[in-house]
Amino acid sequence: KMAAAGGLRRAGWRLWRARRAVVRCPQYPPRCALQASAALRAPSDEHKKEPWASSSQQHFDSPPAGHQPEQKPQGPYPSYTGLGGQESEDYESEEQLQHRILTAALEFVPEHGWTAEAIAEGAKTLGLSVAAAGLFHSDGSELILHFVSECNTKLSELLKNEQKLVQLGRAEKKPIDEFLRDAVEARLRMLIPYIEKWPQALSVLLLPRNIPSSLTLLTSMIDDIWHYAGDQSTDFNWYTRRAVLTAIYNTTELVMMQDSSPGFEDTWRFLQNRVADAMTMSNTATQVQSTGEAVVQGLMGAAVTVSNAGTSRAVR
Amino acid sequence: LRLWRCRCRALLSRPAAALRAQRGLAAGPEMHFGFQTVTEEERREKIYQVFENVAKKYDVMNDSMTLGIHRVWKDILVHKMNPCPGTLLLDVAGGTGDIAFRFINYVRSVRQRQLQRKLKHHQNLSWQEIFESYQNDKFNNSLGDSQVVVCDINREMLKVGKQKAQHLGYSEGLSWVLGNAEELPFDDDKFDVYTIAFGIRNVTRIDLALQEAYRVLKPGGRFLCLEFSHVSNPLLSRLYDLYSFQVIPVLGEVIAGDWRSYQYLVESIRQFPPQEELKAMIEDVGFFKVDYENLNFGIVAIHSGFKL
Repeated sequence: KMAAAGGLRRAGWRLWRARRAVVRCPQYPPRCALQASAALRAPSDEHKKEPWASSSQQHFDSPPAGHQPEQKPQGPYPSYTGLGGQESEDYESEEQLQHRILTAALEFVPEHGWTAEAIAEGAKTLGLSVAAAGLFHSDGSELILHFVSECNTKLSELLKNEQKLVQLGRAEKKPIDEFLRDAVEARLRMLIPYIEKWPQALSVLLLPRNIPSSLTLLTSMIDDIWHYAGDQSTDFNWYTRRAVLTAIYNTTELVMMQDSSPGFEDTWRFLQNRVADAMTMSNTATQVQSTGEAVVQGLMGAAVTVSNAGTSRAVR
Repeated sequence: LRLWRCRCRALLSRPAAALRAQRGLAAGPEMHFGFQTVTEEERREKIYQVFENVAKKYDVMNDSMTLGIHRVWKDILVHKMNPCPGTLLLDVAGGTGDIAFRFINYVRSVRQRQLQRKLKHHQNLSWQEIFESYQNDKFNNSLGDSQVVVCDINREMLKVGKQKAQHLGYSEGLSWVLGNAEELPFDDDKFDVYTIAFGIRNVTRIDLALQEAYRVLKPGGRFLCLEFSHVSNPLLSRLYDLYSFQVIPVLGEVIAGDWRSYQYLVESIRQFPPQEELKAMIEDVGFFKVDYENLNFGIVAIHSGFKL
């Protein structure tokens, strides 16, 4: 029974933590403070009461004056929980904190590479201890995946804005090959600040542990590009188009890795040629198909003519 | 977060306290010392005496009891910590300094790699820049400003640790402090990492030790606990019990001349809360992303939590 009660307490605790993704709840903190203090002062044989009650007492006395739950704290570092048991206004979920650390870590990547060191430096700029890098894997996979997903989001934004401009009539709708070329170029340009350490990142992304996530990110990006290019196919074309664009993207990325021309001109030329190839291939494919259909029709016609000639002769 | 815990505690205070009493943890004056029941004060004294007696033979006994595997466990702990130069470590109950020395070695090798990378980078510098880099202190610091503070409640253990440090040639980056894990003599928000290896079992009030750990850690700091834990595999558990109760006290008598201390050791392992319960206790104090890793099927477990 006691074990069940302990389990119940912990289950409730876990449920609470699972719901902890809530970012702001304006009416929550004042009630929190009140009920927490009431619970603490309630007579119980809990051994934890004494040290908690005294410190929380002090903590509750100071905030009420300046306690504005709706306002964002202006301090350099928002605390996530006070020792006295009161939640600070700016409490965010662990995922958001991890997100912020990784974003801060990106600026140290050119110097330290995609490593736990860069993450540690990032954590330092946020006012956290360097040990916070222990939140992530020591090979920097999360940092790379975070970067890739950020780039994909930026690309989506870019394409969406372009589409809006076209819809508003302020810009011309681009032909497909130009659209694809611009989209892939824009996406690859985001790698330029990190180009020196990018080969390391690619190799980490190919680790078996990371393949599912990196593959998902890649396919969703390609999907996005085709969506904004206006692809509405529902047949096998959907797969071929994505396969072709994935191939173009990957090969161009690899070319970019070892490109030393000014402004990466060689890469963009390579990209242009590949996209042109793809277009030609699809045109050829359509031509082959229509020629094939024409040939089949011709044969059918010939067969019908021959059989008609045969029956008419039989009748006579 | 805390609100829910406080409410829950108020609601379920009685059963929880009873559960704790069952575990022998500070629900009153009755406590466990191995399989005996003693008061809190007695327990502290007895444990102090145990370690006073075993201090000189502590390392030898560790090697013989665990067949040297304890070194691997401690290595895994420091690898999991993955400290970078500039980390401030507090090693509590670190007596003979095993974790501290490993930390220093690790940081030194990371620092070497860093310096090598910097040198490669420095191939095309002007004379002015090279001059400035020599002025920079960090360039000469082989530890990169990392420091470890070894804190132990037992004077004898600290003495043995200091002797070992001298013997092995560790001079910089180490400090030795006499202190109680339940009441650390340090300010708030000071350390990057807090470790306690095979020590938390001997702390009388584990919850207080955890609270102190939370207090002295910086925001973002990490709590790491390496401790004997419960084996769930039944076959292994029986073998382990057999080994613990039949072999270890005998080894204790033969090597260290102290049967009782080693009897206490194996009994205290059995009395210690299992992995999930310790994880819950750590979460209760306020640590986030609390997780544990079983080593050797649960004979030893590393618990880790972050102060966020």
